[in-house]
Amino acid sequence: MKKLTLAVSLALCVGTAYAQNKTIQIAGFGAKSGVVRSFGVNSEAALLAAADVINKGGGVKLADGSKARIAIEFYDDRCNAEEGISVIRRIAGTDAVVAVGPTCSNVAEPLFGILQKKVGDASDSGLQFPVFTDVAIKVGLAKISEWAFRNVPNEMTMYNSLFYWLRTTHPNAKTVYGGVEEDFAHSRATWYLVMKGRAEASGFEVLGNSKWLLADTNFATQVREMKKANADVVAISAHPFTTCGVLKEMQRQGVKPKLLVGLTSSSSLETLQGCAKQAEGIIIPTSFAPINKEAINAAQSTAKFKGNADLHSMAAWENMFILKNVMESEKITGTDVQGDRRKIRDGLAKLKTTKGLIGVSKRDAEREADKPYLFVHAKKGEWKVLYNPL
Amino acid sequence: MDFYFSLAQLIGVHTLLGLSAYIVLLTGQVSLAQAGFFAVGAYTAGMLTVLAGWHLVPALGASALSGAAVACAVGFPALRVKGLMLVIATLAFGEGVRLFFFNFDYQVAVDGIRLGPLGGEGFRQIRFFPENGWGTGEVMLFMWVFVIAAMALLWWFDRSRYGSVLRAVGEDELAAQSVGINLTAVKVSAMTVGGAIAGVGGGLYAHYTTHIEHSSFNILVATFAIAYPILGGLRNVFGTLLAVIFVQGFLVEGLRFMGDWRNLLFGALIVLAMNLRPSGFLGGRRRA
Repeated sequence: MKKLTLAVSLALCVGTAYAQNKTIQIAGFGAKSGVVRSFGVNSEAALLAAADVINKGGGVKLADGSKARIAIEFYDDRCNAEEGISVIRRIAGTDAVVAVGPTCSNVAEPLFGILQKKVGDASDSGLQFPVFTDVAIKVGLAKISEWAFRNVPNEMTMYNSLFYWLRTTHPNAKTVYGGVEEDFAHSRATWYLVMKGRAEASGFEVLGNSKWLLADTNFATQVREMKKANADVVAISAHPFTTCGVLKEMQRQGVKPKLLVGLTSSSSLETLQGCAKQAEGIIIPTSFAPINKEAINAAQSTAKFKGNADLHSMAAWENMFILKNVMESEKITGTDVQGDRRKIRDGLAKLKTTKGLIGVSKRDAEREADKPYLFVHAKKGEWKVLYNPL
Repeated sequence: MDFYFSLAQLIGVHTLLGLSAYIVLLTGQVSLAQAGFFAVGAYTAGMLTVLAGWHLVPALGASALSGAAVACAVGFPALRVKGLMLVIATLAFGEGVRLFFFNFDYQVAVDGIRLGPLGGEGFRQIRFFPENGWGTGEVMLFMWVFVIAAMALLWWFDRSRYGSVLRAVGEDELAAQSVGINLTAVKVSAMTVGGAIAGVGGGLYAHYTTHIEHSSFNILVATFAIAYPILGGLRNVFGTLLAVIFVQGFLVEGLRFMGDWRNLLFGALIVLAMNLRPSGFLGGRRRA
């Protein structure tokens, strides 16, 4: 009889836990259409895959001890500022407790601008909603609002390390020439604010740079300038679409620098699908590579949801697990939406370190991450680890 | 509710953009310069509230003036050409303005932080509304005061002698000139009024998004500006409003749940609408 009572009690407990069928809504948003749609598609797949793993593991533990499943809804902002603002306001009107996104820095800047600048500032009517960015990588954006957090790699550190490493391992390479996708916030900022200065700081002489636009398809003039400069290192700060265009034009004009350096966002499958042959040897710092069991599993899980694993999509994956831990440590209720949003914000603000797929990330006072990184290079149609400073 | 208030704000801003092209279209001219006037207004208002600490209302007044002044200056040479040549000339102006702001740096330290336009990086922290504690409902009402004022002005124009002159020029320039109408004055005045409305719209847009950059004022914005009155019809100002609600409220926001299919439907539905209502939603006495 005792056994029967125990069994019934257990069944009731378990039944209650599942019958409650509680869900915690997390919104994802980013570009799922347009030139950069692959970033949004991959992020959505990573979010869904991570949520699936978390749910299979029992879900998120709430303040009352019950468990809740995570539900993901992803919104397309088309990499457009107006749409990004509409999307975040729409999300804030739902039961979502936090949003992961956006893809584009030109969406992140206005979006962070409509958030409340300082938490608890009653005179500021900005939106009080936590946003945990996975992709938009332009330097120094999270400081716009105390509700904004990012888990994107620190390009300043990465390129500083990369150029220093190149200088020491290739002492014959002394000059650098840049190529920049001028009208894309991330590419432009990375060349002018990061790559150029870091190369000079490591002792390279920067001979100049060529400029093109995201929608350009002809790069003859820019590559001619590049050829004329005859630099030892060509650093291309552009996304896969124009990076491939430039690399193909370099091949056509016979431009063969000793070393090729690429933009973080180009260490993706899209580059290899577009121009594996021309990209052979290009060196890129990245915050993700399938170098351990956990990273391999994450990539495989994301593939099941029709997404590719790269430094951006795997940041979305990491965000989900960071959020799970924060939600549990801050004891969210699952019923008080605004209260839970504040708890998540405060929880994210408290973090000093987070566990990532390839190591531990540090978090700074401006709510940015300093993620572990490694250098990869394109080799026979694959990204291979070239140097791991971990 | 915030979402709907925000959507109403966006519809208001786009209505101003459409109305700025509406008055120019009445004279039979197709201008792709509206995005340029919109940009001038946006940067003017943003700089005055953020860098000079002005209240938004006088800043919007300055936006209207700057938009009007630039439109007037552009109108004299540009309106000497017609048809496709005018389209190209105004397109070139719009791109020129965009490229100007792409290279425009003017930053000053405000409370220890450098703010202002920074070329391709854009101009961030245009936060007049949240910093002054305005709720989204209040912002919406504020914006719609300007939208209704612009609509009322154009409505009044349409029922005045000036409106008849605009439409007469649009219908038949030769006939209008033969009865003593000064074509240049009429066209330039329409362009100037349109520039002022676009300037106010741009000023509101900058404060809606809090961040502007050159790409916010590209050819797509110019295309939308003339698409709204054409899609809505030139019979009266409400056609433009209806077209903006159709595009921004229905096609962009209403169909968001359709994901990737939305983009395909976007173009198809506009083509369908134009076929079903070739003179625009609210018809019109003439087609643009």
